[in-house]
Amino acid sequence: MTIAGVEPRNVATPADVGELAAAVRDLYADGKPFAFVGGGTELELGNAPRTLDTVVVTTACNRVIDYAPEDQTITVEAGMTVAAVCAVLAEHHQFLAFDVPDPDRTTIGGAIATNAYGRRRLRFGPIKDNIVGIAIVRPDGVVAHGGGKVVKNVAGFDIPKLMVGALGTLGAVVSATLRVHPRSEHGAAVALRNLTAAGVLRVCADIVEAALVPTSIVAFDDGGERYDCVVAFDGFRGGVDEQVRSMTGIAERLRCDASQPSPAELELLEARERSARCEAPWRVHLGAAPTKLAEFLARNDMAGIGRIYYPAIGSAILTANALSAATIERWRSDLDAGTVVVNAMPLAARGAIDAWGAPPPSWPIMRQLKANFDPKGLCNPGRFVGGI
Amino acid sequence: MAAVSDFIAIVGERNTITEGSELRTYEADGLPGFRVRPAVVVLPETTEQVAACVRLARALGMPIVPRGSGTGLSGGALPVEGCVVIGLSRMKAILEVDLPNRRMRVQPGVINLNISRHLAAAGYYYAPDPSSQSVCSIGGNVAENSGGAHCLKYGFTVNHAVGATIVTAEGDIVSVGAHGGEPDTLGYDLMGVFVGSEGLLGIVTEVLVRILRTPQATRTIFATFPTTDEAGAAVSSIISAGIVPAAIEMMDQLAIEAIVAATRVDWPLDVGAALLMDVDGVAAEVEHTADAAIAALRAAGAIEIRSPRDDGERALMWKGRKGAFAAMGRISPNYYVQDGVIPRKEIVAVLRDIARLASEAGLRVANVFHAGDGNLHPLILYDGRIPGQEALAERVGGEILKTCIRYGGSITGEHGVGFDKAAYMGDLFTEDDLATMQLVRCAFDRDVIFNPNKVFPTPRLCGDRPGIYHPHAAELAEVAGRG
Ligand SMILES: Cc1cc2nc3c(=O)[nH]c(=O)nc-3n(C[C@H](O)[C@H](O)[C@H](O)COP(=O)(O)OP(=O)(O)OC[C@H]3O[C@@H](n4cnc5c(N)ncnc54)[C@H](O)[C@@H]3O)c2cc1C
Repeated sequence: MTIAGVEPRNVATPADVGELAAAVRDLYADGKPFAFVGGGTELELGNAPRTLDTVVVTTACNRVIDYAPEDQTITVEAGMTVAAVCAVLAEHHQFLAFDVPDPDRTTIGGAIATNAYGRRRLRFGPIKDNIVGIAIVRPDGVVAHGGGKVVKNVAGFDIPKLMVGALGTLGAVVSATLRVHPRSEHGAAVALRNLTAAGVLRVCADIVEAALVPTSIVAFDDGGERYDCVVAFDGFRGGVDEQVRSMTGIAERLRCDASQPSPAELELLEARERSARCEAPWRVHLGAAPTKLAEFLARNDMAGIGRIYYPAIGSAILTANALSAATIERWRSDLDAGTVVVNAMPLAARGAIDAWGAPPPSWPIMRQLKANFDPKGLCNPGRFVGGI
Repeated sequence: MAAVSDFIAIVGERNTITEGSELRTYEADGLPGFRVRPAVVVLPETTEQVAACVRLARALGMPIVPRGSGTGLSGGALPVEGCVVIGLSRMKAILEVDLPNRRMRVQPGVINLNISRHLAAAGYYYAPDPSSQSVCSIGGNVAENSGGAHCLKYGFTVNHAVGATIVTAEGDIVSVGAHGGEPDTLGYDLMGVFVGSEGLLGIVTEVLVRILRTPQATRTIFATFPTTDEAGAAVSSIISAGIVPAAIEMMDQLAIEAIVAATRVDWPLDVGAALLMDVDGVAAEVEHTADAAIAALRAAGAIEIRSPRDDGERALMWKGRKGAFAAMGRISPNYYVQDGVIPRKEIVAVLRDIARLASEAGLRVANVFHAGDGNLHPLILYDGRIPGQEALAERVGGEILKTCIRYGGSITGEHGVGFDKAAYMGDLFTEDDLATMQLVRCAFDRDVIFNPNKVFPTPRLCGDRPGIYHPHAAELAEVAGRG
């Protein structure tokens, strides 16, 4: 196992949260640098750790602590996989809106630490909107909680939010209370084809204008400059049917070809999305205000670059077999007020490219936060933004 | 004297308050029973002025208490002895509306409701709708992570305020969160932790909020029940059936009585409880959801189910609900608003416990609350003229919070911990939990200059650094001496 190309000397797999905390406490006391690993699906994310002694694997901490279907919350240990949680929820016709490409391996803790998201973020929000409480093991081995078990709570600082996307640099997530959602009765999708990036954005604008409520909008490059855009709806049958009809109307007005994709076609597209998120040698995540991202995509030469584009979220995943540091640099200076994060790149490229790009203006506060949580700088050192 | 003239040099004489009835306004917020005289109040008009005031206060060793409209119910804006209150009420410009990206940039003093008013003609609105929305500021909402009736479906301030410009304890102007509408920012989610930080981490001087398209359709349903048992069971069954209304609010008999007395709603007085509910979304979906909800209400034992005849009546019903706290004045000389959260399946049991606590204390408690979220607002009625009653009311309030904790809930769903509930934080969190929150605080404000005696049970400093929590006596005497 390597983390962004760095191999640890040891791998520890504590059997429960108590053991995990003890292991971390010892590592910290001994001055040994460490990092946490869940299912190991996003180990390429971020910069190479400066040094690494031990990897602490969370997957044995995988119990359901409390499931309250009537309250639409579940508390689980962080080593549970997303699929395992969903299996528990399915018994009560509920689901977890964590869109991860590899739910059989991705753990809850890993999804939180990497702020994983996918198409349904449009409807259900990012992970941070779906997490109401958390327990962490701090870098010094102390167990601490934030938030709670109820869906509404403003007591104390929002420690759960702070852990989302922190890539385990402030400690390990060991359990979390999550919001879950009722499964809907019916779903349907409409595919609009042969659109430019501006055309995709226009579709989104018309959807908003019509006050439709899609679950997701995903645009796939068609192999060339254009996109096929899939808009999905879920809910009660009548509402879904009505929205599909409205969608067809929108397509007619925009004079674009639209149809309801077959289940086989949908599965194919989803497979493409999954592979773009976990297989391509280069995976670059773009984020910007929707109009700015659409302009960026229209302005830049995208020949040979795979694009999974979430137009209404303002996010896109670009994939390629080969990219240069110069291209990444150009994209970074070209994407106005946005983020260009290289989620995966070949090892050889790592020296020349910072995975995150320039840190944001609030970085001095982040650095202080890190210093307060991890004064010895032992927890996943150097992997995060600006060398944190 | 030097200090006051220095503040005047920054914000001007007309934006500096040091005496008289004007100063009295700033001695308290919406938490009754506490007044503290600030040394000086400044009302800056620009972010740069806020920054300069923070730097000056820091140099003078004065604690800083940020303030929006002062409607907070937990004493978050209650002054600290010898402090400067930095009021944001003069920064109330709408800076930018970006409809294509559904974002809006506003100054902190903008009144919550004015955002939606500004957008109404275009068919958009801002979702979080605290009952105080016609007076509270967006800066205060960010600081409290305020909620409201429609947060059941749409989420709280933290789900809608995506970026901010803040003035830090060093007097620096820093942007946190999204500044250009990007979905995620690099690094830690500082905006996520800033929202709800109750004025302890910095002063918000600009906020970037998400705005939403007005739904295709909204249906309002009003239902009455013999007791809160049936109403509570109805809420639980709606939530557990996976029906997602935009709002479900509950009012018990006393609350209905007060609302009827204060407004023109024609709600029956001989019922034990009522639910006011909105279902919104795509038209066909709304019909279906409303029918499912009505079936659940019936099954739970509703006496009467009705819908408003027109938009006017709908607005009146919501006005009645949102004006409920103030309406208590009709049935009691004084009241104390409590704010606690419980798991939604426990509403019936907890309301019974609250009724028992009230009758044991010989006080009346009215309930009007965000039932869909399990966010209780027991209003403890008392008569301040009767010696001991105010203290008794507070004690009942405390017992209610402990009940919420016992059921696995929280001591506050939206009003914040502030000054009022700092003592209960230790019941909800361990020492280590609180120490971890302090690590966050100290990353923003190592000298504990902002709102020093709020939220945490014991004020403390960061590390071993010399702090400025204790103001320099000489400076204070000078400033305070003017008042
Ligand atoms: C009748 C009534 C009904 C209410 N209903 C609700 C409700 O339904 N839901 C709900 O959530 N709340 C409700 N509240 C509580 C209150 O209105 C909210 O907490 C509101 O967000 C406070 O806003 P404000 O501008 O009055 O802030 P203030 O009371 O002035 O301040 C609140 C806190 O925010 C801090 N603060 C203020 N402005 C800033 C700033 N710019 N930067 C940093 N910190 C700042 C203060 O230091 C303080 O800690 C109600 C209050 C009343 C009186």
